[in-house]
Amino acid sequence: MKTSALAFAAAMAGTAVAAQDLPQASSDWFTAGQATIEAMLARKANTNTAKNVIVMVADGNGVGTNYATRLFDGQQKGMLGEENVLPYETPDFYTALVKTYNINAQTPDSAPTAGAMNTGVKQRFNLINLSESGIHDDCTTEAGNTLTTFSEIVTDMGKSVGIASTARLTHATPAAVYAKTANRNWEGAVPEGCDNSKDIATQLIDAMEAGTIDFAMGGGGRFFLPEGTEVGQSKGRRTDGVNLIERAEGFGAQFAHDTAGFDALSMDAPVLALFNDSHLEYEADRADDDEPSLADITKKAIEFLSQNENGFYLEVEAGRVDHASHAGNAYRTLTDGVAFAEAVAIADELTNDEDTLIIVTADHEHAIAFNGYCGRGSDILGLCMGVSKMGDKHSNEPLLAADGKPYTVVGFLNGSGSVLREDVNWVGARGDLTQEEATDMDYVQQALVPTSSETHSGEDVAVYAKGPWAHLVDGTLEQNVLFHVMHHAVTAE
Amino acid sequence: MLRRDFLSSCLGTGLSTALPLGLLPGALRAEAAPLKLRELYNKDKSFSGIALGLEGKPLTVEGFMAPPLKADSTFFVLTKMPMSVCPFCETEADWPADILAIYTRRTFRTVSYSRKIEVSGLLELGPFRDPDTGFLSRVRLTGAHFDIA
Repeated sequence: MKTSALAFAAAMAGTAVAAQDLPQASSDWFTAGQATIEAMLARKANTNTAKNVIVMVADGNGVGTNYATRLFDGQQKGMLGEENVLPYETPDFYTALVKTYNINAQTPDSAPTAGAMNTGVKQRFNLINLSESGIHDDCTTEAGNTLTTFSEIVTDMGKSVGIASTARLTHATPAAVYAKTANRNWEGAVPEGCDNSKDIATQLIDAMEAGTIDFAMGGGGRFFLPEGTEVGQSKGRRTDGVNLIERAEGFGAQFAHDTAGFDALSMDAPVLALFNDSHLEYEADRADDDEPSLADITKKAIEFLSQNENGFYLEVEAGRVDHASHAGNAYRTLTDGVAFAEAVAIADELTNDEDTLIIVTADHEHAIAFNGYCGRGSDILGLCMGVSKMGDKHSNEPLLAADGKPYTVVGFLNGSGSVLREDVNWVGARGDLTQEEATDMDYVQQALVPTSSETHSGEDVAVYAKGPWAHLVDGTLEQNVLFHVMHHAVTAE
Repeated sequence: MLRRDFLSSCLGTGLSTALPLGLLPGALRAEAAPLKLRELYNKDKSFSGIALGLEGKPLTVEGFMAPPLKADSTFFVLTKMPMSVCPFCETEADWPADILAIYTRRTFRTVSYSRKIEVSGLLELGPFRDPDTGFLSRVRLTGAHFDIA
């Protein structure tokens, strides 16, 4: 049989029809497909040494969530949506899938996933940058188990380092650039008796003083100020009486707490900016005077860090994509996802592919899921509309489930949107739903399993890369491999 | 004004502890479609023109009952979305910035935090610290009652 197949293929090769002679050759799909192949054939592996590395993480933006953001972004631009291409989905970027599990967790959390990208090894659930011998919540296991971070490695190479996030700077993803802790929640204090441990906020200021962090911009002012102290939007929660902002200013750092302060930052001293008491606002709720956009923060970070002729490492996080999914509110997941895409675009625009490796990825996926069979252009936030027999757009008639009710395109498997009701012994039924209700910015998607907060999932995420050694991003990778791509890129000769 | 001044739920002193406007007679359900909670605020969390225009007047707002801070109470917090807290992502629950304190005419039966309700009452603006819980609110519905949406 195998021999026959080979003979058939050989015969066909001799009589292959030229592509332009095929009846479908005039189709836009066909020509676009050919153009994609041409773009891929034109790729040349970039084996330069990377001067700069930028890692951009949309927290919780797995393959499914990213799909929804693609459609939402396209529909906001007047497209049907499915055909949209996000800035990091072009043939300029190499792409792979990433396995995100932690050493001891099938469903990962954001601390060890970010730690894997920053140290090159998988880590344990809820820990940051400790080896596999570290134990959650046990500060005695920190000593002897701390790992060396990518930020420390590139600092030794003379590069600058920056973190930017819409979450608290002490939250998991930004913390993984500079912190080492047995509990990701020790953001502003450590338990009594842990005298050899430091809270994450203190570790950030230590890193700034040591010169391993030069630019830090995000939220979480509460953990940098003592109780009873207010600065901008932040009210101090530290119980040790330490004012970390004053400490940073004492060794020469600049501080900003709002957009006016952001605009006034100079380029000649380390930057600490804390725009909010906790996380920054969702993009949908953000006031320009209070907080700059993630794209503006990214632009400022690159302009500041690129002053170093030895280069820089920057990690940018869209932290609130994850939070909105935890709330079951797809609207804010997707609006923050678009803000992330805009930040990627500005990072790409401001850097040179010849010397800058850009990696775009997520730390994990969520329990997001998609219903069918929806027609083209069904509002990604709205009801699943039927497929039309003519043309490409949907029928504008909502599909009905067996209960006679319409359903949305996007759903979550669990969360506060569960249709099961505690007051009737966890029995439930789906409510009626209109397009207006489903597309409201505060709508919480229907879910099945009742949980207070929608959960992460262990599903793969994608990684997209361009610049030096980006072609190493290929296939299905363990998450810690991303560190090795970065490390190879900055050390290649 | 700091936009989260009204979120503090710590016990404090020095503020009035009298129930604002007291108990109000009669049903106060507004006939218009329920307001969305976000319509009471601007993006900088100042009060919207709608809120300022409706101060002291009856209205109906839709939202979700946050788990009450105290049992057998006439007070709860209305949120625009169900209160969801990721158990290991957050060290403690934070109130959203845009919430509405509700003072009902009589004690009420708790409704699951994930069921949408429509609350009718008189809109009151300005700081008020709840005498029982210490919860500092900046905007309230008083003399309120609610139905499942």
